[in-house]
Amino acid sequence: MKVPVVTRWGSWRIHQSKAFRRFREDAKDVLAKLALWRKTIHKIGGHFGGGVQSYFLFLRFLVILNLLSFLLMASFVIIPSIVFNTVSFSGSSSIDSLPSVNMTGKEECLRYDPNPEALTVFYTYFLDLLSGTGFMEYSYMFYGFYNNTLVISSGFSYNIPLAYLLTAAFYFLFCLACIIVRSVRCSHRLQLKHTVLVPSGYSMLIFTGWDYGLQGERATQLKQNNLLYQLQVDLEEERIKQKAASLTLTQTVGLYSFRIFLHLVVLAMIVGAFFGIAAATQFSQVSIVGLLLEYLPSIVMTTSNFVVPFMCDQVARFEKYSPSVTIILALLRAVILRLVSLAVLLYSLWKQITCDGDVNTGKCTPCSYNSEQYQCWETRVGQEMYKLTLFDFLITIAMLVLVEFPRRFVVDNCSCKLVQWVGRQEFLVPSNILALVYGQTVVWAGALFCPLLPIINTIKFIIIFYCKKGTLFQNCRPALRTFRSTSSNFFFFLVLLIGLMLASVVLIYSVAIIHPSYDCGPFRFSETMWLVVPNTFHSLSNTTQEFLFYAGSQAFSIPLFIFSWSEGRDKQFLVKQIKEIAALSKEEQEPQQPPRSQAQWNGAPHWGGQHNPAFDPDTGMMTQPRAFFPDEFENPGLHYREE
Amino acid sequence: MQIRLYRNCQVEQEGEVWFALVKFVSARNKDESNQRLCRTNRTNNTMGATASKLPKDQLSEYQELTFLTKQEILLAHKRFNELLEREDRQQIGGSRVPMNKILTLPELKSNPFRRRICQVFSTSDLRDGSLSFEDFLDLLSAFSDSATLEIKSHYAFRIFDFDDDGTLDTGDLEKLVNCLTGEMDNTRLTSEEMKQLINNILEESDIDKDGTVNLSEFQHVISRSPDFVSSFKIVL
Repeated sequence: MKVPVVTRWGSWRIHQSKAFRRFREDAKDVLAKLALWRKTIHKIGGHFGGGVQSYFLFLRFLVILNLLSFLLMASFVIIPSIVFNTVSFSGSSSIDSLPSVNMTGKEECLRYDPNPEALTVFYTYFLDLLSGTGFMEYSYMFYGFYNNTLVISSGFSYNIPLAYLLTAAFYFLFCLACIIVRSVRCSHRLQLKHTVLVPSGYSMLIFTGWDYGLQGERATQLKQNNLLYQLQVDLEEERIKQKAASLTLTQTVGLYSFRIFLHLVVLAMIVGAFFGIAAATQFSQVSIVGLLLEYLPSIVMTTSNFVVPFMCDQVARFEKYSPSVTIILALLRAVILRLVSLAVLLYSLWKQITCDGDVNTGKCTPCSYNSEQYQCWETRVGQEMYKLTLFDFLITIAMLVLVEFPRRFVVDNCSCKLVQWVGRQEFLVPSNILALVYGQTVVWAGALFCPLLPIINTIKFIIIFYCKKGTLFQNCRPALRTFRSTSSNFFFFLVLLIGLMLASVVLIYSVAIIHPSYDCGPFRFSETMWLVVPNTFHSLSNTTQEFLFYAGSQAFSIPLFIFSWSEGRDKQFLVKQIKEIAALSKEEQEPQQPPRSQAQWNGAPHWGGQHNPAFDPDTGMMTQPRAFFPDEFENPGLHYREE
Repeated sequence: MQIRLYRNCQVEQEGEVWFALVKFVSARNKDESNQRLCRTNRTNNTMGATASKLPKDQLSEYQELTFLTKQEILLAHKRFNELLEREDRQQIGGSRVPMNKILTLPELKSNPFRRRICQVFSTSDLRDGSLSFEDFLDLLSAFSDSATLEIKSHYAFRIFDFDDDGTLDTGDLEKLVNCLTGEMDNTRLTSEEMKQLINNILEESDIDKDGTVNLSEFQHVISRSPDFVSSFKIVL
């Protein structure tokens, strides 16, 4: 038996690809073992199913993302600021790079005074903590505290404004990369599961649906619930389809017009919520008196996030869509409500800061922003985002303490019919995940103005993890309708991406268009925040400038990008290509051998039932590159029975 | 002692009686006829295993005849021993464990098909679902990692055939679905849903349109499922 001939380079490539694959699998094993909260999430999956588990996996992903973002911010912006503020460098200067703004005539813009009065009552500290004013305002918490320090010490220079801007930009790109990687992984699993053989759907499910390795009452019940729900949903969809197909023309027209009417009703409710938020924001900015007014936007937003989906659910009962369409519609409406109401809030803030976009009228004339209300508008925006985050957190905890735990006590101890019909809490995965997406979008929108917001969010999410876990095990019953997690996971990452886009619009607008405040922050002496980058660029030496120009130009970056992208693809693909090319070249060199008949060769080792000519005697050709990858053979256990 | 042989078994169906032809690969068996019946009537004579440990030659014979490895057979022996009454432990060969004791095994305790599994693998004349040690090994072998798709689909069909008539008719399918969804009242499908479901199943899998699913139609459906072999598995 002759071993197929491989070139030395070919065998080296094969060896490399095998070693790489082994290394990748080992690394995945190690990482999986080190993963945060692995045992808890595994336990949750066993008790409550894949849908609930996907919520906790999503939460863990966000915790790690926020923690890494905070480390990024801390190491490049916060810690250098602390160091430069406390230690004075010999030969350092805190001169701005290029004073590009004429400061005469702008006295009205320089009235920022965040320091509180000397004598304060002790509870104002608590109020300040809740609203981000007072002692919190002029601290590392908010944008206004950072200076435009440019430190030039012996051989070392650090430009805080540049660092601030670049860190913020990199933070967004990093989050984008993480989300895309995770959602691609989700979509791979999605594609694998979508090899549905439609013709024998029901019989396949019934005959092969049970897993005989399941042990324990809970796991069995969970699986049985899964199967029951899947059957019920599929059968109902089929019934609805049949019914829809059997309607007369007038009935169809009537149904569709009724549905359009209901859609308009839902749209009206959502738009009404938006107007409410816009009005509340405007009102709260004008007169900042009392904690309640300050929190008015958050209160209105949270109320609408509760009330409007509930009303939409009631309306959806009359729409008579199939269950899957109903769920998708409810999710879409909830997503639109949450994200667009946040956008409306940001828009109303923007309107007030820039006087409806027209910076040369009314209150915005001297400073290009509304300096009467906002001496330091970046800090104010940061404060609003901080208030939204805090309020969201407080409401979540309040719901747990005031609604879910008492509900369980009442259901367990009171045996009247109404109470038993309402029953224990069910853990609703979609609304919980949307709440997480909303919270994360707020943090992204506010990160430029409040650098400590990611770490606050990390702590908030960690506390929410333990609280939700507690309420899940204590108060919730296993869902009767289990959630199909595979396709929805991808959808939630998509929604997260939309939130990131929204926040990046805020970022781009603030960086490139709105004039920074004159009296606070690291950009106080530039026309826009972005101008720091070109200014610094011009202050580099000429050769560095030309090198950076070339690196950024198309002639260089596009080939580099394509090369690195293709390198990262599956190494097997490359090896396969190499094999095929080598095989073709060998064919050209050696004369064609007459094909051996099957009858002469009986005892050939059959790999999984496929004849492998690589082991035929006296053939020097390597025609089957698949000989080296046995996992590409089909499963030998299944063979098709001919009738 | 007549040992049931079903490794390398080709199982065919002939009417209502199950026959099997065995091709012996083992060189140890000098028997003239290489044809033996797979399922024979059990005689009550016991063979050597008087001690509670399994003798070596019997161990290797079991290994030959089932899909189980040595480790799995020894573990099965140990677990079966624990289920026996104290006085029967000396004669593991012939003693039977009643069904209610078998169902205390954690691997079977919450399986909705546990009773049917015991009844299918039991060779007791009383049809009470009691298992001898070899029935137990049969069971584990059919549910093992290395059993073929044919064996597994054959036994799955017999487990789902609640009335033992050789085909899956409406009653069998209804009981099957109820097992899958749960025995409680609030976990069953309504009767309309059940009718709709059974109609769909018969439409999809009943090729000769006789109103029942026979073994070959069943195996036709099973062969298209990629994870039947891995889910039809019980490991101690």
